Amino acid sequence: MDDLYREIILDRYENPKNRGKLKDGKEALEANLMCGDKIKISVKMVKGVIEDAKFEGGGCAISMAGVDLLLDKIKGMKLSEVKKMKGAEIEKMMGVELTAARKRCAYLGLEVLKKM
Amino acid sequence: MNKIKNQFPVLEKNKDLVYLDSGASCLKPKKVIEKLLEYYRKYPVNIHRGVYEMSSKASEEYERSREMVAEFIGAGESEEIIFTSGTTEGINMVARGFEKRIKKGDEILVSELEHHSNLVPWQELAKRRGARLKYIKIKRNFKLNISDLDTLVSEKTKILAIAQVSNVLGTVNPIKEIVRKAKKINPGILVVVDGAQAVGHMEVKVNELGADFYAFSGHKMYGPMGVGVLWGKKKLLEEMEPINFGGGMISEVGRDGSSWAKIPEKFEAGTRAVGEVIGLQEAILFLKKEGFSLDKEKRIIRKLKSKLSQLEGVKIFSALESGILSLVVLGVHSHDVAEILNRKGVAVRSGHHCAQVLHKVLGVESSVRISLGIYNEEEDVDKIIEGIKEVKRIFKK
Repeated sequence: MDDLYREIILDRYENPKNRGKLKDGKEALEANLMCGDKIKISVKMVKGVIEDAKFEGGGCAISMAGVDLLLDKIKGMKLSEVKKMKGAEIEKMMGVELTAARKRCAYLGLEVLKKM
Repeated sequence: MNKIKNQFPVLEKNKDLVYLDSGASCLKPKKVIEKLLEYYRKYPVNIHRGVYEMSSKASEEYERSREMVAEFIGAGESEEIIFTSGTTEGINMVARGFEKRIKKGDEILVSELEHHSNLVPWQELAKRRGARLKYIKIKRNFKLNISDLDTLVSEKTKILAIAQVSNVLGTVNPIKEIVRKAKKINPGILVVVDGAQAVGHMEVKVNELGADFYAFSGHKMYGPMGVGVLWGKKKLLEEMEPINFGGGMISEVGRDGSSWAKIPEKFEAGTRAVGEVIGLQEAILFLKKEGFSLDKEKRIIRKLKSKLSQLEGVKIFSALESGILSLVVLGVHSHDVAEILNRKGVAVRSGHHCAQVLHKVLGVESSVRISLGIYNEEEDVDKIIEGIKEVKRIFKK
């Protein structure tokens, strides 16, 4: 059980690094149908490259840690590259294997970015 | 294993499972499964079509289910029983079937604790007809504010749609009293009751409630998936328009128009889940034999409430009137609570439980729901408490 709720996940849940909103950023929002949790992401891009990204919204530890870690990763990437990312990469970043139900939580941030 | 539990194959196989999600679906007793198999093995054919023996047998069994349901819920006649796919379909049938009755400026009354299945069909009806949707509010004790009915119901109110038991709060709404009050102000009001959380847990006699329609699901009363019942007063069913057109529901079909069969066939277009309807017989026999578990469930929920109250940072939402209680561990998302409980073999539901309007009223995004069935025991409370303590330990709350 402590595998899933590893320190990194709990830490990101309690103290996210990328929470907030970027002024004049490109925005998108998506909800997890299972629970109604919503995540909104704003990104600032320079010549197609993501310079900064922040998220707003609430959710479970898995979705919050997932999006926070994802936003670390995408800085410096092109949005088009981000859209090609697979959910499994998020699990890798989190260092856990998730059940089907929890994959929806962890992947929510990526779903938002794909809508941009 | 006790004599209830050993009637459920899934509990025999998973001896440590603490199943607390009967509000979503009850587990299925052996006899129900066997009845399904009997149909699929011995007479797996369509009904009301063939004159051959096997088809007659299937038809007989199907109609026997109708009679048994009618007797079980105290319906006047078996033709008042319409087989549906579940509660949602039943409610949609009424909402569509009386569409023409609703005029611009009319009102439809629901309550804040409704499941989406007894809310969204009315929202949509109101939108289509230019009517207004109004809400009976809940009080701090998680019961409905019935005294508001005096001001909420008027000549304009055409429909009152209400759950008998809340799927989140466990509130048992006093349907008889609500119907009496509403019909006293406006005798023409149609009362539609969502009985999904009631029928498998307490005695329901529709002829005593005073309501006009009552919808429920088979799988929430230990029966098969994919089958439900809509009961309606005969006169109203005769007046109600069908929403599905096609085979089995017609009297005569001409090139340019058709006439409808009598009730109940008028509402059973196409092929129903015949085997599942037949399987419902065994769910009824099971409940008749074992009795309703409402009192026992209430006892367990009250014990749970008192133990949970000793823990800090746990918010409880329950009227303590049935086997349903929802909770929030402050600072921890409901999915995370459910996940940790799951790893201890405790199955609960997390999310908004198809009641987003209610969750807004409660001031939380989502919650963890514990909903009991006939197989739950007082010991299950200890498992839940252990799990919640583990949640608090992991999240340092």
